[in-house]
This record gives sequence, structure tokens and C-alpha cells, in this order.
Amino acid sequence: MAHVVVIAVGADRPGIVASVTGVLVEHGCNLEDTSMTILRGHFTMMLVVETPPDGDREALTKGLTAAAAAVDVSLSVMPIEEGVTESPPGDPWTVSVYGADRPGIVYGVASLLARLGININDLTTRVAGTSGEPVYAMVLEVTIPPGVHPRELGMGLEALAGELGVEHSLHPSDADIL
Amino acid sequence: MAVRPVVALPDHRLKVPSQPVGRIDDTARALAADLVDTMRSRPACVGLAAPQIGVGLRAFVVDVSGHRKAHTCHGEVVLFDPEIVDSHSPVLAREGCLSVPDLTGDVARAGVVVVRGLTLDGDVRTIETDAFEARAILHEVDHLDGLLFLDRVESHDRVFRRKVYR
Repeated sequence: MAHVVVIAVGADRPGIVASVTGVLVEHGCNLEDTSMTILRGHFTMMLVVETPPDGDREALTKGLTAAAAAVDVSLSVMPIEEGVTESPPGDPWTVSVYGADRPGIVYGVASLLARLGININDLTTRVAGTSGEPVYAMVLEVTIPPGVHPRELGMGLEALAGELGVEHSLHPSDADIL
Repeated sequence: MAVRPVVALPDHRLKVPSQPVGRIDDTARALAADLVDTMRSRPACVGLAAPQIGVGLRAFVVDVSGHRKAHTCHGEVVLFDPEIVDSHSPVLAREGCLSVPDLTGDVARAGVVVVRGLTLDGDVRTIETDAFEARAILHEVDHLDGLLFLDRVESHDRVFRRKVYR
């Protein structure tokens, strides 16, 4: 099975998902993991799509682009590699970082995580508050690999939050199977 | 007494509310034994409800003995026709389920629970518990009502791929 990623962005309005997914159904595609949300008034879609073995990739791209244009959305289709490993081993933890908005918060946290070999699984940021006093909030779900102690991340975050003047917290988010 | 196959999504039986057991006889006790055996056969499994082994009857087993998140613990608990008599003080935590492969989600559940049901001998038993045992019981009682954790996830973006069983 071949897979493609479909990325689409446009001013938010009803009907965007229906337009795009309608074309996928027509072409016999199957939606797998997706992430779709509104970012500052723009509806953004990222879809991993399984395409049929005998599918016409060019016709699919054409159909999708036309349907997206009809709802003022720009869209692109990219092939992706097969057989990519799902995620590295380790324990899931949640990191929250928030405070007065300033450049470099995401970069600072991401650099710290990269230095420690910690993988980011999910990252959401939002700007809130007033334009005079914007508040930046960032929540990450990360995987702390075997051999890295959560305390190392905690200490790194503590130092970084001090430098950036933001608040932070770290807690385990492992699930219990009931 | 046997380890039975676990029913998993997309099997619709998980969504059908279960029927009361009523009289506790040898058939009911055999069902309980199967629930215990099947639960014990799965690593880290702390509870199982009858619909999860394909039986549409109101029965469950939980055992949170030794679990690090447990506070009050009643050991192996088998209850038929359970009713939640009281529940309060919600706590948010991440759950997975044997019947929902690969996914986990954040679910708010009461941190204090009083549940009443029938024992293996047919006696009425009332259990007051908290923390992880309360969560496990509420999760199992949900199964009897045809509810999965996916029906209770706190937020649409709080569903995750499960890593490993522990």
C-alpha cells in the first residue's frame, strides 16, 4: 500500500473537510492518522492517506487541488516513505511551558529536548491574553528514552524557564490498561 | 474456568448495554471464574467486564493489588449487577483498554466511589474506595453500560497511541 500526506490550509469555513475527503473517497483512498485544527482562523489539515495500488496519483492530486480551490484552500500532496518506525521506546511525559510571549520559547525547549535525545510526539502552542500582554502556552507530549532520567529534563527545564522568564511543569502521562 | 478471547473494537457487542444477572448460580460463578482467568492471563490487566469476553451480563472483576497508583485496595473483587451508589471528586488520568487496541485517552473519573453489587455467594456487598481502584471500577461499570473510555475522553485531542503494556 502506498501512502501520501495531504496538507491543506485555508481561511476557516464550513465544508472544507467534506470537500477534501469527498475527493479521497472518489479515488478509493483510505484516511489514516490525521490532525486537523484551526490555527489563528486558518483551518489546517494534515492527513496520512492510503492510496489504492492501481491509483492514479496525478488525477488524485488534480481532483484534490480543484476541490480545495473551490473552498479557498491551498493544498499539496506529498508521497511518504513506507515502513517508517512508529516511535522510539520510552515513557510518555507531558511538558507545559507558559508565560509572557517572547521569541525563542519553542526553540529553547526543543533544543533542550533534542540535546537529551527526547522525542516530541505532539506539540501544541497557543497565543492568548491581550495584544498588549500576550501569553504564550505550549504543551508537549514527549517520550523520555530509557537511560535518560526525567529529573535531567526537569533540571534543564528549570534552568531554561528561568532564562526565558516562563513557567513550566513536567508530569508522567503513562496510561493504565483497565 | 478458562481464559476466553477478549472482544475488541470494532466489535459492536462492546456498545450494547448488558443485562442483569439476577440470581447468582453456578453459571454466574463460572462466568466470574472466566473473567478472573482472562484478566490474570493479560499482563498488567487490572479489571475485566463480561462484555469484554462476549457475555452481555452485568458482571466484572477488578484487582488493583500492588498497583503503584492504588490507595484503598480490596484485592480481587467480583461483583454482579453493580450500582454506583455515590461518586465524587473527579481526577483526570490516562487510560487504555484491552478492548480498544493501540489507543489511550485522558478521562476524568470520580476519585471516590461507593459501589454496591452481589458477591459470588449472592450477598449484597457495598465497597467504598478511591484512587486507582475507584477508576478501575468505574471503567468496568461503563463497559456494562456499553461505554468505552473513548466515549469519555476529556478532549478530542487527548487520544494517543499506546506505547507498551506495563
